[in-house]
Amino acid sequence: MREATLRATAARTFGELLERHEREIFAYALRLTGSRHDAEDLYQETFLAAFRAWPPPHRDNERAWLYRIATNKAIDRTRRRRATVSVDDLRLAAPERDGVTVLDLANAIRLLPAGQRAAFVLRAVEGRPYREIALTLECTEEAARTRVSDAMKKVRAAMR
Amino acid sequence: MSTDMIAEARERLLARAKREGLSTVGYDVIDSPIGPLWVALGPKGVAAISFGREPGEPELRRLVRLFGPGIIPDRRRAAPAARELDQYFEGRRHSFDIPFDLRGITPFQARVLRTTSRIRYGELMTYAAVAHKAGNDRASRATGAAVGANPIPIVVPCHRVVASDGTLGGYGGGLDAKRYLLAIERTEVPTGGWPKRGS
Repeated sequence: MREATLRATAARTFGELLERHEREIFAYALRLTGSRHDAEDLYQETFLAAFRAWPPPHRDNERAWLYRIATNKAIDRTRRRRATVSVDDLRLAAPERDGVTVLDLANAIRLLPAGQRAAFVLRAVEGRPYREIALTLECTEEAARTRVSDAMKKVRAAMR
Repeated sequence: MSTDMIAEARERLLARAKREGLSTVGYDVIDSPIGPLWVALGPKGVAAISFGREPGEPELRRLVRLFGPGIIPDRRRAAPAARELDQYFEGRRHSFDIPFDLRGITPFQARVLRTTSRIRYGELMTYAAVAHKAGNDRASRATGAAVGANPIPIVVPCHRVVASDGTLGGYGGGLDAKRYLLAIERTEVPTGGWPKRGS
């Protein structure tokens, strides 16, 4: 297994991209979804989206690009399923108040701009360290903290 | 997270990529007595064989130029070529049935390699003779370069091209590999090649 982070050049073929990153993207998908079945779907959707959107937008940043696709796909999936199963996870992030439903929270998250939404899900749902969130969202750690904090404020305000 | 889990997920991903027309070339790395070989199958047959586990720079550039980025690992697609190569290495196959695709090279190189592809199992031809047959007597050196840049070694048997003085000349996979291939076909190859005729 080659060290993806050591590669300075962008993948030239789908195969290169896949061989460099499929393990970590699958692992990420497993952590995001919590089930093998959903992780496999997310892994597939991520790479198919990457293939369709070829080439990677940043020469040295294909890894972050893939993480971003995976993150956004995961958010889309969560949104699609919000009335059924996955929203259970979101309950963890809900403030304890009477009359606030998981659906309210999902709706509040949906109103967030994409960058804040990803930051919120990564932090509040997945509990990922800011260092990793910054990498995923291609921003500084400080910016990641700001995004999470702004998102939290908006979500709280929306649910008041 | 097991390797199997990834392999199964990859199978399904590749099937979907194929259905969507995102895959143009399928490759696999096969083991051979001369080391691993990277074998790529395109829409018109074997598009490339590289010595080692991944293609060389110029090789990959040629494939991307010809087929775009949809070059993906695909054991099933590469299997027919892998099978014929196995049979060749076991001495059970004297010619390849699977078609090959020599597009993406210069017309001169294509002429040289088509000539090379007609050298029969166990036979040898000198660079000068290949140059002559390819229609350019004086381009012996250029012929050597064209043979050396063969994108589909073994199937296009450039190992059967040797120097006029009987020495082996060069080989992309190394002279040991060339000697090994010739030994499969001719039972014994002296180190360094054959003594010059008449010497």
